Amino acid sequence: MDTEITHLNLPLSEDQARGLRIGQMVTVTGPVFTGRSRFHIRAIEDGIIPPLDFSEVNCFFHVGPVMRQEGDEWRIVSIEPTSSIRFERYGADVVRKLGLRTLIGKTTMGPRTVEALAEVGGIYLSKIGICGNQLAPQVTRVVGVHFLEELGKTEATWVFEVERFGPFFVAIDAHGNSYFEDLNRNLEDRMPQLRRRLGIPEDYQHTDVGGSVCS
Amino acid sequence: MISHDAVVAAMYDAMRTAAIALPPDVAAALRTALAEETDPLARQHLAVSFENFRLASEGQGLICGDTGYPLYFVTAGPETCLAGGFRGLQQAAEEATARCTADAYLRPTMVDPLTRANPGDNVGPGMPKVDLSFVAEGDGLEIVACPKGGGSEIFGTFYRMLFPSDGEAGICSFVIDSIVAGCYAGKICPPAIIGVGIGGTADLCMQIAKKAALLRPVGRRNPRPDIAALETRLMDTMREAGIGPMGSAGVNAAMAINIEVAVAHTAALPVAVNAQCLVGRRWRAIMDAEGEYTLTGEMDR
Repeated sequence: MDTEITHLNLPLSEDQARGLRIGQMVTVTGPVFTGRSRFHIRAIEDGIIPPLDFSEVNCFFHVGPVMRQEGDEWRIVSIEPTSSIRFERYGADVVRKLGLRTLIGKTTMGPRTVEALAEVGGIYLSKIGICGNQLAPQVTRVVGVHFLEELGKTEATWVFEVERFGPFFVAIDAHGNSYFEDLNRNLEDRMPQLRRRLGIPEDYQHTDVGGSVCS
Repeated sequence: MISHDAVVAAMYDAMRTAAIALPPDVAAALRTALAEETDPLARQHLAVSFENFRLASEGQGLICGDTGYPLYFVTAGPETCLAGGFRGLQQAAEEATARCTADAYLRPTMVDPLTRANPGDNVGPGMPKVDLSFVAEGDGLEIVACPKGGGSEIFGTFYRMLFPSDGEAGICSFVIDSIVAGCYAGKICPPAIIGVGIGGTADLCMQIAKKAALLRPVGRRNPRPDIAALETRLMDTMREAGIGPMGSAGVNAAMAINIEVAVAHTAALPVAVNAQCLVGRRWRAIMDAEGEYTLTGEMDR
């Protein structure tokens, strides 16, 4: 671990969020709640939201934890962040509706969520490596679970207290910048050279056999 | 005669081990990748992953929390005798998968595609998936269990019907576009093992791509020299794309690019890509005619 890590407390203030930059590595301490596709769809399409004080429990962790019940206690087996880019259809609406300043997940989110985060003063944190086993003991308490019966263990909303949770890196900052979009621009510059190397003619296109109704 | 219980036990043990142990060839390839990467975040992605694998091997969690799709690749010989016949393999896979899920080696991840209802045991129509093939000799059974992660399957599956006039340029263009798209923001969890299928029907094309990604030892080239050369050329080119572990800045977007071919219709050039994520989960049970088995992370095909 040869890189400096900033330790943040949750809920994040707007000032703290605006002070972070893409690529920066951080941990978070405080309350988080979990959700995946079903949370996003239900929150926006059906208005079904767990009864939480989102000004306090303000960090949305995209994950389906592997949970095991031992007596009355829930134990976390592994907690691997899931790909957030899948939630882009509803991401911006959820950020605005709940006033979220911290999102944690895998991959990144798209332009609408980048815009919403810039608006509310929030950040998106992306996981570093395969990290579910290190993250598990950083969850100091399973506070509760919502929608377990209807959604099952993977899609349910779990509420956790976490301590020095991470590290993650800032993939979207509160100023409209995206780490992966920046990298992708470099890649676009490189692609013509890669194609030449593989002997792909500059004007090559796959044979079009017609009839397509979508691009 | 191999008993039903022996098959269930071997499937359970192979699947359970695949969920907690990194195959040795994959571990070696990732160590090489770590030595090559220079970007701090790229290095951190791999260093953290290795710590995760260490914890899993010590019984503190899983290789990866998304245990994905429960897949079993079963190979039998002409003399193999199963109690109840080969029809029992699906039932055995269901029992093994449900047990692995109950014991928290697999996350309950398989749901109805429309209602999204989760039965909680990863068993449903078509799942677990059992692929059965036969070899020329033998009376035993080989079972490879693959908990195939969602990231690599969901974001790393591409198919296109190309045509003979699209040629090798078409194949290369499709393959690198697929890898680049899959690697964006680390969706398929690079360094990935990229399986490429060329030829066959659409389903066969994808199936050979999947087997190329899941079952071939990392580092082994296709025995056909022209195909091996194409694998090497694609690999060398991808290393210049600037994509590293988990989509960071680096060189190891892929730890291997494995091509398999099937005969094609004379009018067609179908190409498929199926990615396997950096954990490359698979574990093998080798069973004799009496149902005794040993487990190994090595693949010898």
